[in-house]
Amino acid sequence: MEKRSILHMLDPMTNISPFDVNMAMDAGFDVLMPYSSVKLDNVHGLTQDAIFSRGPAGIPLTAIFIGGRDLGLAIDMLNACKHAMVPPFEISVFADPSGAFTTAAALVACVEKELKTLHGKEMKDCKAVVFGGTGSVGIATGVISALAGASTTLTDHLSADTALDVAKAYNRRFNCELGAALAGSDAEKIQLIADADIIYCTAKAGVQVLSAVVLKQAKQLKVAGDVNAVPPVGIEGIKRSHFGAPLIHAVNSPGAVGVGALAVGDIKYQLQNTLLKLMLETDKPLYLDFRDAFMKARQIV
Amino acid sequence: MEKPFILHMLTTAKNLSPFDANMALDAGWIHALSYLNVEPSEVQGLVQDVIFSRSLKNLQRTGIFIGGRDTKQAMDMLKSAKRSMFAPFEVSVFADPSGAFTTAAGMVALAENELITKFHTTLEAKNILVLGGTGPVGQVASVIAAQAGAHVRMIGRQLDKAQNIADMCNNEFGEGKITILAGVDADKAEYIKTTDLVFATGAAGIELLGAELVASAPLLKVAADVNAVPPAGIAGVDAFQNGTPIKGSNSGAVGLGAMAIGNIKYQVQNLLLKSMIHTEKPVFLHFEHAFEMARNYLKPVA
Repeated sequence: MEKRSILHMLDPMTNISPFDVNMAMDAGFDVLMPYSSVKLDNVHGLTQDAIFSRGPAGIPLTAIFIGGRDLGLAIDMLNACKHAMVPPFEISVFADPSGAFTTAAALVACVEKELKTLHGKEMKDCKAVVFGGTGSVGIATGVISALAGASTTLTDHLSADTALDVAKAYNRRFNCELGAALAGSDAEKIQLIADADIIYCTAKAGVQVLSAVVLKQAKQLKVAGDVNAVPPVGIEGIKRSHFGAPLIHAVNSPGAVGVGALAVGDIKYQLQNTLLKLMLETDKPLYLDFRDAFMKARQIV
Repeated sequence: MEKPFILHMLTTAKNLSPFDANMALDAGWIHALSYLNVEPSEVQGLVQDVIFSRSLKNLQRTGIFIGGRDTKQAMDMLKSAKRSMFAPFEVSVFADPSGAFTTAAGMVALAENELITKFHTTLEAKNILVLGGTGPVGQVASVIAAQAGAHVRMIGRQLDKAQNIADMCNNEFGEGKITILAGVDADKAEYIKTTDLVFATGAAGIELLGAELVASAPLLKVAADVNAVPPAGIAGVDAFQNGTPIKGSNSGAVGLGAMAIGNIKYQVQNLLLKSMIHTEKPVFLHFEHAFEMARNYLKPVA
């Protein structure tokens, strides 16, 4: 019998995500094996068990997926996998905790595209603010945006300290320069967006973060992207399917456009599918994280 | 290439039941993935991960199964799953904690069938004693029978506990439209005098109704027992009995054993799992649907 492709799905949480299960199946993996409550210390052993059990013919048909909720931990686990490989017993690994890497990559790539095509601007010339910036998608968005050159601020809706701690931790880890701020009240939000070129909204589903009143105070806004698909959406006036439609409430920012959750979701979906397939198609093992996700997302948009 | 059928199987327990895994795969689901130790509060997140990760066409090839041990929790999880979906991003969901929904449905439908074919009557206004009735199968059998018009008394070892569970069944599962009464083991001899049907749904290997009580039941028509481990839950009803007279019954009652009930339970669970695959429009299945399916299955082909 021909060997089947196997994806070993490692997760520090109690359960893997059904989202990733559906995506992995639809990308063509024959068999999925979930491993839940995995600790960083376990990754080395699990990886070696995965590589030493299939023989040379099975190696290209074997891969590891890393889920969870914690971005830093996922990156650490990805690195632990990499260190456990013993060439030629080496397989591809893809980390996408909470789907945050692919969602954030899709969001930033969509925003960057609108920035270039409609405003003729580069990321490096822009100021960006991430609302809901301390959640997993928010952090990944901030890091990708900052590494792409935008001067990016992570915000938290409850605590400036939380935002600052997160920004510091990820600046150290990825060598970027994220700023931090509190975005609790409308006054604080207005101050943050007054001179922002880009707004990312990655807050909790079903919560409106930026109302028409706040958006009116944006003076040089160019593109706003929202990943919340559950009404009310995060940014008032953005429809979920919008991809570059005028942002009607940003009346003092001529030409400002919005990208909605379904537009971002569509790219994210293609992106995650592409990266999963890549692990089945590649000749040489790949280690995929948000950086690879962003590169691919740029190609897709 | 057609995408595979995926069933996401949620349980509050630390393991999925291999029974349900086998049933799901044999019903035609290609992949059955388990999610363990699921807290009811996590259902929304899991369900939304299910619905937002496949195209609408492939959502028709996707389903959710809710297992666990607790009937009320499973019903709450089913409701929560339904509330977490937005048309057209919907998939079918089927709750069958401990297999209790399909077991109870199979037992009540079989008993009803005996009433119709051998006694020319129905469940309407019949007095039913549900022995060991506070467990999952007893609860659900009580609710299904009460909804079908029977007067049900749930028997437990402690009256206050039985009463609480009967109240919960009336309010949560019966939406206040049914009235299941409670009783204690010690009063069985009294209740049995007016009982038409007995369901024994207690723990395996415990006799819940002895030969003396079987003989002293003047109205008894059907006695069903889900216990497959000797001694039988009802004296004179063996595991393979399927509608033959109970030795020692003075009223000509017939017995239904665990194997007969198990067979229809199996058929019903299989058909419900299949119906999730073949439906165009998402379905949300629980004990009521299981009972409907069991009745249809037993209905003589015209």
